[in-house]
Amino acid sequence: MNKPVIAFFPEASFGSALNCVGIAQQLQREGGTPVFICHPGFNGVFAEYGFKEYQLPTAHTAEPQTEETWQAFVTTHLAHFNLSPQEQLKTYVAPTWEAIVDTAIQVETELGALIKRIKPDAIVLDNVIMFPAIANANVPWIRVVSCAETEIPDANVPPYLSGMATDNIDRGKFEAAYLEATADAHQRYNNFRQSCGLASLPSGQFLEASPDLNLLLAPSSIRHERVKPLPQDIYVFLDGCVREEAQFDPPTLPMNDGPLVYMSFGSLGAIDTDLISRMIDTFTIIPARFFVNVGGFLESYQTVPDNVFLGSWFPQPSIVAKSDLFIHHGGNNSFCEALYYGVPSLIMPYCWDGHDNALRAEQTGTGLSLARDNWSPKMLQETVIKLLRDTEMRKRMATISKDMTKSNGQLVAALSILAKLKVSGAM
Amino acid sequence: MLKPRSNTRQNHLKLARQIIDFVLERGLHEGDHLPEAILSDACGVSRTPIRSSLKVLEEKEIVLRREEGGYFLNIAPDKIIAEGLSDLEDMEGSLAAQILSDRAERRITDVQSVSALVRRYEVPRSAVLNALKILSGEGIVVQLPGRAWAFQPILDTPNALDESLAFRLSLEPQAILSPGFQMDSQKIGLVRQQMEDFLLRPDGNLSAKAFLKLDCAFHSLIAESSGNRFARVTLLAHQRLRLSTQKDHAIPDFRLRQSLEEHLDILDSLERLQLQLAADQMILHLRRSQIRKPRTINRGILPPGRGAIA
Repeated sequence: MNKPVIAFFPEASFGSALNCVGIAQQLQREGGTPVFICHPGFNGVFAEYGFKEYQLPTAHTAEPQTEETWQAFVTTHLAHFNLSPQEQLKTYVAPTWEAIVDTAIQVETELGALIKRIKPDAIVLDNVIMFPAIANANVPWIRVVSCAETEIPDANVPPYLSGMATDNIDRGKFEAAYLEATADAHQRYNNFRQSCGLASLPSGQFLEASPDLNLLLAPSSIRHERVKPLPQDIYVFLDGCVREEAQFDPPTLPMNDGPLVYMSFGSLGAIDTDLISRMIDTFTIIPARFFVNVGGFLESYQTVPDNVFLGSWFPQPSIVAKSDLFIHHGGNNSFCEALYYGVPSLIMPYCWDGHDNALRAEQTGTGLSLARDNWSPKMLQETVIKLLRDTEMRKRMATISKDMTKSNGQLVAALSILAKLKVSGAM
Repeated sequence: MLKPRSNTRQNHLKLARQIIDFVLERGLHEGDHLPEAILSDACGVSRTPIRSSLKVLEEKEIVLRREEGGYFLNIAPDKIIAEGLSDLEDMEGSLAAQILSDRAERRITDVQSVSALVRRYEVPRSAVLNALKILSGEGIVVQLPGRAWAFQPILDTPNALDESLAFRLSLEPQAILSPGFQMDSQKIGLVRQQMEDFLLRPDGNLSAKAFLKLDCAFHSLIAESSGNRFARVTLLAHQRLRLSTQKDHAIPDFRLRQSLEEHLDILDSLERLQLQLAADQMILHLRRSQIRKPRTINRGILPPGRGAIA
């Protein structure tokens, strides 16, 4: 029997890309043949893990970005990252949805042709928008929600990207503002869907549930109790989905005492070199070792303190596993990796579901949060030390880690996908 | 005037490395006898410094002294490069290593005065001067007019890694194709064995540091086999620079293995004397290594130079 070919199509973010790598590694062990359809920016990322890549052709795409256009993006959005979730709706969320819709429209023809060439037995879509070529491919498709659980609405789940509690009295206002901010992109997207033979989606929604299988990266320790439980036949919750990564041996620092703190705001968060520089200055007064992911901006830092190590990339699961505290932006993959290894989080969100996870960490006793633009060195120092000394939280995290490790999210995901293939007759 | 004690130590360490080279070149085995007279001839020095250097190796448990019979090899040769030699390198000018590490980790700027280094490391001026002499000997620092010292480019950032690979891509295939390319078959055997042993390690247990040593050993072997003396010297110096300053934690296990398998394929071609094929394989190998992760990316935006779809 031929091995089933499962085509993964993660969105252009490291969180979903690497989450998919975890599932793909397990699928490979279970007898599948995972391949990756990747955005142009990601060529090589999946091949490094041993997977065949198919790059999305770019024949009808926008002009290639230059250093200048990239710098313009940075200059424009850096200030937005300090705004409240509500204020970000117009300044960041709306233009980002416009760009996402552009992507779906631009790649449609080439994506359809690529899927015909690959002839997958199933497609795994880890994205926030449907690409009609996938829905029309006549093979089972699996939706992976690697963002926060808030992406799937419910009356008892806070509004997506709001950073609000479920019972916040301003919930209605935020939801209305979200629909208003995304209305133009949504209308344009629905028109596009109809032109591809797909039904329109309700306001604010850009991706429907898969009729086959939906995998949610939402560990039980932070999961919301829904008013309308999701049907178990097509929704499967994953308690962590951590990829196998390269070994990380922390280098010896000139000041090598104290607990290990890892900090990463994701590749996009690394653009805020001013914020990271101020934090590094504060780290000098905290008795700990700090390993800081500064992404592509290593050359922006000149005099690194003796208890700090900067890197442009870390094998995150490997270093989080050795950490006593993880400072991050609330990206769902980062938050879940912290939970998986039983490491408290200090979340400093700047956009998207980072706001939701920042609040969720506080609510569930798995971490604390700080506003990016409203902290003093003393406040940061006290927060870090509080988290490092919180023995109750550490016990709680150890239990969460044990449960998540035992539940083996990658295996659950892989077996669920293969089971759907058997039902569909592809195996 | 007496030279600083550490200089004498440096000489013993240098000679110890020569002894290890002799062991590797001769293909000796664990337990083999290391007669002082033969080592003395091979290294071109008297027995007294040989004895001192053997004591250094004894401290590191690389050799063993028996009451009657002298010194014997106490470690398998394939482990010397992976373990023993690195210890030696750490010992060799530990202050130099610390200065270099601090520069690579951006703790000190690229221009330094001796006084500033004396203050930072709280060591005598002579120790700093000795460390700078070691780094200068490797071409890592140069003395500027006046009292300042400047670091030369090192492999401390992703951009520097990119430039290093571009440089190697232009020179390493040529090193193979230059007339007179000749490899030491014993060294090929050793390097091959070390890589095959590394490949047997399970995933999750592949040390980036150990990989870098193997990688540099392989590419150094290519360099030293070149018939072009300038390619030889330049590439060997660059591999030493990589070994001492490159810190790359970003490579997943699959690519580490693939990279070593590419090394083995290149060695296969070289041993069959298919030099053109080996040179082409080297190009492929280095080009694959050039593929790096995107620096910054997120939904709705892609980094420059990668073609944008959103």
